[in-house]
Amino acid sequence: MSALQTTLRRTTAVLMPIGYYPARVWCSTRAAPTDGKFRVLDLKKKSFVPHAKKKYIKTITLPPRALSMPVDQEWSNVWPGPRTFHPATVPLALRQGYDPKRASPGKYGNAELMKIPNFLHITPPAVKKHCSALKQFCTEWPKGLETDEDCDRHFPMTTITTDYCHSSPTIKDPKSRIVTIKIKLSTLNLDKHARDKMIRLVGDRYDEESDILTIVTDRCPTRKQNYDYGVYVLTALYHESNTFEEWERQKQEADMEHYIWENNPSKKAYVTLTRWPEKVSDDDVKSHSIDEDTVGQKYKEAVTELLNNGEDTYTLNKYREAALAVLLPQTIQA
Amino acid sequence: MMFLDTLPRFLPARSNYLILSRCKHVQAARYKRSIKGNKPLTYEMAGPPHTIAHIKGWNSWNTCNMLDGLRPAETAIDDEFIRRFMTGTWHDLIASEIIIKRQHDIIRIAAITVQKISVTKVYFLIGYTEELLSYWLQCPIKLELQTVEDRTAVVFKYI
Repeated sequence: MSALQTTLRRTTAVLMPIGYYPARVWCSTRAAPTDGKFRVLDLKKKSFVPHAKKKYIKTITLPPRALSMPVDQEWSNVWPGPRTFHPATVPLALRQGYDPKRASPGKYGNAELMKIPNFLHITPPAVKKHCSALKQFCTEWPKGLETDEDCDRHFPMTTITTDYCHSSPTIKDPKSRIVTIKIKLSTLNLDKHARDKMIRLVGDRYDEESDILTIVTDRCPTRKQNYDYGVYVLTALYHESNTFEEWERQKQEADMEHYIWENNPSKKAYVTLTRWPEKVSDDDVKSHSIDEDTVGQKYKEAVTELLNNGEDTYTLNKYREAALAVLLPQTIQA
Repeated sequence: MMFLDTLPRFLPARSNYLILSRCKHVQAARYKRSIKGNKPLTYEMAGPPHTIAHIKGWNSWNTCNMLDGLRPAETAIDDEFIRRFMTGTWHDLIASEIIIKRQHDIIRIAAITVQKISVTKVYFLIGYTEELLSYWLQCPIKLELQTVEDRTAVVFKYI
């Protein structure tokens, strides 16, 4: 093969159109590699194409809003309602978390700050704004109800109901049906007998110290029904206490709820002593009045207290003083 | 510890050692140390469960588990559903725990996400999540996200 022939052949190979591959390759060792990689004999045709890791284009973000905030801005416009903490909006250098070795974590990327419910929407100026906006819907306070005593006099009955707010989609709470009615017994216009009967009828529901009767109703399914039932019970109690049954005449001294000095032998003894040496009948004892007699009043008070409140140092001392005043008036005066 | 104090009353003395030795092996919600010591933990992950309410807060805020609270079981199931839906929808984007706060019937979902996808996609996902969850749970949902540049921003320590 001469040199000319070789040149011719090479020329033909160069002149070949792109994409046309000849059946024979004359000079395989000189063929330029298609890419920079070292080719490997791949008999099973399982060429592995490693695909590059997906590259994320960095999102363009603005600098934190807190950096460009004017000092005299209206904070309630920045944070109008309840919202989870956002570090770029709140211009405070907050830190949250516990780290035994370093400082607490800062506000950026801090999930602890996002957990805590914040009150950034009810700052004092925001509350003031709310109040001034609501003021137009308010009415004047009614005249004659300036003090609590006035309120108690004009509205003696108190109704207590409770509404429950849950952090769940349901607004129904079975406990909201309970109605409590409170009333001072002294406002009910009861005489001595009716008052005593009422206290016996209501039992534990009457508080002696504050003189308040409490009726709690929860047996009906709705609040309205419970309220109606409570008012019905109160009415029934009132009228029942005002009636005088025939069998109530059989009340004995042992049935009395308190010690009453006038009904007891103590008064008879006292009257006998003061009127000595004349004889006293039962009628005399009944008609004898101690309104003018301070010694008698003191004695009555001491005896009543001793028997109603029980024996202690105070009541016993008081009784001793009173008894001495009755029996030995001259020693007390001296 | 109360439990441990009362145990000796019920058990023979020899068993105490066994129980006390088992106490060392409690592993729930505690992360295993890696060999190279390069396993990243967030602040929430770094604290074991007994530190809740001492050095870290709860991930679910609601009144259902208080005395006489309503729907405790339903709320727990809903929370778990929300967590799974969020991690699936915001795939590979959430860098913290999902915090679910309930106020009346509003559910606020807070999380820290990574700035990996375009802002348009983030807006779409917020709307998508809010719409679908509020349809399923029948209450207003608010998604309140914070973004960080990458996951290293929320790492508290490496173990």
